[in-house]
Amino acid sequence: MRITVERSGGLAGIRISKEMDAKDLPSALIRTAKKIAEDKKVFLIIMKSPPRGAADHFTYKISIQDGTNLRVVECNQYNIDDDLKSLVKYIEKNSKYE
Amino acid sequence: MDFRNRFDVINRESQFVNPGIPICFIIPEYINKKIIDKGSKKQKEQAWKNLILTEQLRGRRLVTGLMSSMFSVSNKLDRTIFDAENTENLPGTLVRREGEKPKGAKTVSEAYDYSGSTYNFYKDVFKRNSIDTRGMKLDSTVHYGEEYNNAFWNGTQMVYGDGDGEIFQRFTKSIDVIGHELTHGVTQYEAALEYEGQAGALNESFSDVFGSLVKQYALKQRADKADWLIGAGLFTNKIKGVALRSMKEPGSAYNDPTIGKDPQPGHMKNYVNTSSDNGGVHINSGIPNRAFYLIAIELGGYAWQKAGKIWYIALTERLRESSNFQKAANITYEVAGTVYGKTSHEQNAVKKAWDQVGIKIIAMK
Repeated sequence: MRITVERSGGLAGIRISKEMDAKDLPSALIRTAKKIAEDKKVFLIIMKSPPRGAADHFTYKISIQDGTNLRVVECNQYNIDDDLKSLVKYIEKNSKYE
Repeated sequence: MDFRNRFDVINRESQFVNPGIPICFIIPEYINKKIIDKGSKKQKEQAWKNLILTEQLRGRRLVTGLMSSMFSVSNKLDRTIFDAENTENLPGTLVRREGEKPKGAKTVSEAYDYSGSTYNFYKDVFKRNSIDTRGMKLDSTVHYGEEYNNAFWNGTQMVYGDGDGEIFQRFTKSIDVIGHELTHGVTQYEAALEYEGQAGALNESFSDVFGSLVKQYALKQRADKADWLIGAGLFTNKIKGVALRSMKEPGSAYNDPTIGKDPQPGHMKNYVNTSSDNGGVHINSGIPNRAFYLIAIELGGYAWQKAGKIWYIALTERLRESSNFQKAANITYEVAGTVYGKTSHEQNAVKKAWDQVGIKIIAMK
């Protein structure tokens, strides 16, 4: 199972993509990734609107590829789920730029 | 515009609410407005909530501007700096109030000083009283998050990360970045440009334009002496780049193995269609950015005096939530004609600049 985190937006507008194999994640984050990958209800979560007038926030696209099964989650810094945020932060910190 | 006139606008528009949408208001709109104007504090708050609901349902831009009418007006600069202590909790611990002597980290002083520079720029040049025209407090939070590579406006305050020391240094380092973030607040209270696609790219461009003008005003620089860079000095020396963006030459600000090449176009033929970054709001802003730069250079002198004035009038009086590049071009051309005269040098400069970035003015009358 491979997880790709694409971050765009922010003041700089620099698009950053990082990727990691699930086996390189801590066990709690493997559970988070599996939960998302196996949740049949989750295919694409459309971003909710950030606060009125807000600007320069980060937006995220998280893709989890498990065999032929692909799950994609889109969110932004205001509505990202706490578990997903932990997963994103770990991959951002511990994976090289793609 | 006087807010009573804004009420008139709303009253006129309210006749056109789609009758097919079952929206029921228990308290008529004009009564809510009267309560906001004359009621007690508690009554005002409730009336305001009612009015916000109706305005949100109708998708109006005027509500944010109206919000300020129920609060008292201040004519003084009022800054507060908070420290998030490397958490993501806002606003954080208060570290410096208006009028207090410098204390704490350098980033605190920068957030304090440069938000003051931005306030003074808007006050001196456009006679604008803070973000909302009614003396809104300027709240900033520094040390946000851990090694946080961003600065943002969250709809009520400015937020600055320290940078990771690998790609970015602290985001308060650059005066135009602070001008950029505060201008997002100004846009929120004025044209309220949607943060998506071309309207979003205009929103970003106005922040870059006035962010750069804040810096030029502070340095008393003429247009031909300015660097026209956004975020100069934010990158560490490990990154091959001079700034986040170049208004003079979009696409030339950085080219680095880690973060890639500056993707900004400076002409419509290179417009980037993308779903990321809210439809490329930080990418395609290069096009109106360059148009502004070209006008400023053509007109010479201090860029805030003529080019800045045209852009400010367009932002505060003419542009709407969903305005696109063509609309911005037409409107700035029309504003230049109104302020400086039809076929004046200034109006011709506006037309020529938009033409140079691939947008032909379509005269509205």
